Amino acid sequence: MRGQRDPSVIPGFGITLGFTTFFLCAIVLLPLTALVMRSASMDWARFVHVITDPRALASYRLSFGASLVAATINLVFGFIIAWTLVRYRFPGRRFVDAIIDMPFALPTAVSGIALAAVFAGNGLIGQYLEPLGIKVAYTPLGITVALTLIGLPFVVRTVQPALQELPRDVEEAAEILGASPRYAFIRVILPAVLPALLTGFTLAFARGVGEYGSVIFIAGNIPLKTEITPQLIIIRLEEYDYAAAAALGCVMLIISFFMLFMINLLQVWGRRRLVAGRN
Amino acid sequence: MLTWADMSITLDQVTKRYHGQPVVNDVSLEVPEGEFFVLLGPSGSGKSTLLRSIAGLSGIDHGQIALHGQDVTQMGARDRGVGFVFQNYALFRHMTVGENIEFALRVRRMKTAERRARRAELLRLVALEGMDDRLPSQLSGGQQQRVAVARALAHKPQVLLLDEPFGALDAKIRDELRSTIRVVQRELGVTTVLVTHDQEEAFALADRIGVMNLGRLLEVGQPQELYARPATRFVATFLGAANLLLAQQGPDAIRFGSTPVDAAARNPVAPGREHEVVTVMRPEEVEIAATREALGSNYIARATVEELLFTGAMERLRLRLFDDPDAARLVGSADATQRIEATRSQPEQRAFPLQVGDTVALGARRLHVLPTPLSSFVACAATQAEADAIAANPLLDALATRMKTRVAVHLLDEGVQQRAPAAGVAAIASGPGAGALAASLLRRGAHEVLVLPPGAALPRQICIQWMGDGVRHATLAVAASLLRHLPAEAICYAVAPEARRDQRSAAMRALLDARSEAKAAHGLEVRTELLSGSGPAALLAQLSTLEAPMLVLGVTRIEDISGAFATLVNGAPAVPVLVVYRGAA
Repeated sequence: MRGQRDPSVIPGFGITLGFTTFFLCAIVLLPLTALVMRSASMDWARFVHVITDPRALASYRLSFGASLVAATINLVFGFIIAWTLVRYRFPGRRFVDAIIDMPFALPTAVSGIALAAVFAGNGLIGQYLEPLGIKVAYTPLGITVALTLIGLPFVVRTVQPALQELPRDVEEAAEILGASPRYAFIRVILPAVLPALLTGFTLAFARGVGEYGSVIFIAGNIPLKTEITPQLIIIRLEEYDYAAAAALGCVMLIISFFMLFMINLLQVWGRRRLVAGRN
Repeated sequence: MLTWADMSITLDQVTKRYHGQPVVNDVSLEVPEGEFFVLLGPSGSGKSTLLRSIAGLSGIDHGQIALHGQDVTQMGARDRGVGFVFQNYALFRHMTVGENIEFALRVRRMKTAERRARRAELLRLVALEGMDDRLPSQLSGGQQQRVAVARALAHKPQVLLLDEPFGALDAKIRDELRSTIRVVQRELGVTTVLVTHDQEEAFALADRIGVMNLGRLLEVGQPQELYARPATRFVATFLGAANLLLAQQGPDAIRFGSTPVDAAARNPVAPGREHEVVTVMRPEEVEIAATREALGSNYIARATVEELLFTGAMERLRLRLFDDPDAARLVGSADATQRIEATRSQPEQRAFPLQVGDTVALGARRLHVLPTPLSSFVACAATQAEADAIAANPLLDALATRMKTRVAVHLLDEGVQQRAPAAGVAAIASGPGAGALAASLLRRGAHEVLVLPPGAALPRQICIQWMGDGVRHATLAVAASLLRHLPAEAICYAVAPEARRDQRSAAMRALLDARSEAKAAHGLEVRTELLSGSGPAALLAQLSTLEAPMLVLGVTRIEDISGAFATLVNGAPAVPVLVVYRGAA
């Protein structure tokens, strides 16, 4: 537009857009294209065969299913943890706050080994769960536990600032106007932090789908039962079947992209209601 | 019992503590139906906490709150049904203006059509017609606060509470919104309490103002009344500029040194004794002329013009008084930076143009004598070093700072029968011989003696006892004066033996009389406690159970400071004691 001022200290719309495009291409799109190209080296029938193999189908279900369940668990408990950290002052709060980030910092394999040790039949917690008939290690449940651990900080760290920005007096206003705590929560607090919650959910979910290191130790990797798609890809790679590995990768890519895109759309819609008109 | 029925808001001895410190201290207040009441005070004075207590947003530790005759002390904010406007609007940002306003109606499941009608009515009231579908983020600060006012009024509350509602707005918008709120309040006749630290705002809006400081409600009154006749130094200086001058009040006149003056108010004074008082002179009441003879009003002192400031309609001057013991002196004049402030209108400026450095005569068109018995402190000791140590005592230092007064030094000469300090509270250090010293000071004309243990801290409880009815009035007045400047509790004690029914009921009656006198004469809420036992021993035992007590002890005979009280004055236990002595006439 004529006469439009540069909006910030970084100059030039042209240069920044060019840079953005180049960077995205080089770092994100190019490798993805290579992936698609690789899988295209197969003929169509074999491609379909590889990606609809019962073992592959089971792994999709497990990967996406466990990630969804884990992200949902994190949505609820991550919110509660963030709420506690923001709203209350208690001894050891900073310590708890620091612990949240541990899954970020830990090599994923380490968390996997730790979880396996704890939840194995003779492990710290596993030995008490086993007699109750609850098996965690080497079952889909174990995978979900691992993905929950990995995804937790994403939800907490995105919801925390949103809650911090939500002034206390907004709740008090709702209370004075006659709202019950439940009504105030659903109508006032939740809408205000919903975009952040969704972002946290998305990040946790995306991370779960791509997770490999922490899962393989606790999953047991039994085909059709506890084998996640990334594990299947590794197996194909170890068989030097690069094309099949790439094909499976493509499927994950498409499903992930589709789901993330949907969540993003939802967010855009939600955010528009919150910040519309703010120049 | 209070007559609650006609009162919209009734507060009875409301106290709220944080970590043991009272932030709202024994506040009692009645706001009649339809009144616009402004709570005014500096930040940290407890005014917002009090407002939040009325709304039910924060609980209270002691006392009662009633709305329209109904005790709501135990009721949650949700059920009190008041309207509340927050300083930072507290609008629901994800809802439109219309949805915000309808919130309270939705909660109450009102029908859509009625809701719409009410919303249109409210938007018209705050002059925001047609803004229904905007989001709060699309509005300016002033508009957002209008929405907040409309939202608070949606469910037709009978009480509207506003917590510094103009704090975040610039001056012009503030004026506009101020008049909107006044108009809305008049139109709806809703009882309103507004909290602010801005005295101009309080004057512009209030039917009545209550001034708070350190958790206490110091004074309540109409704006003109409080401005012209404040009862305390704090209110005098907080409501507009004030020059505080020390004067001597005799039986029938007040004077500055040897300069007699008329004053707008007089205090009853014990006959035959002169008393030091503080007078208030507003800057606009200062008359300036070339010579004493040219003044149309009462001459008070000569001064030099130090600063001239042109502010449009008015000229503001700062003048330094001549150091003349026979003319007016400023309270706290030990501090060399203190100046007389004066303002002059345009005609006055034209009639007598002034320049910096000019020497002039000052007159007072109107003086108001503060009815406070504590005017200044005098540290009394044998040597300069000891006197300086007394002056530096943390309690005395805190008192002088908070009362905006000075601590003078008076050296006592052992052996020689010297006169007591002319005026003010004599401050001495506790220790062996302090009792004898206090008695000798009282014998030589002092009215009050403050006995300070070394390193005395600010008291949490002011314990009040008097020996003899003749000194009750003075004791309560002195205690009230202290309590206006300290965040402490007030407790009146009386002692009577457990077995003596007649003595106990007489003592109880005396306590209740004192309680109502404190309330009526000083606006002070005191607790009363009847101790069992006899004499000072019972009181001393009680003092030792308190965390940080200070004793205000009224005596009619100097010999009363003997026995157990002498031990106390001599420093065991280490409790600050303020002895108030009014001998029989």
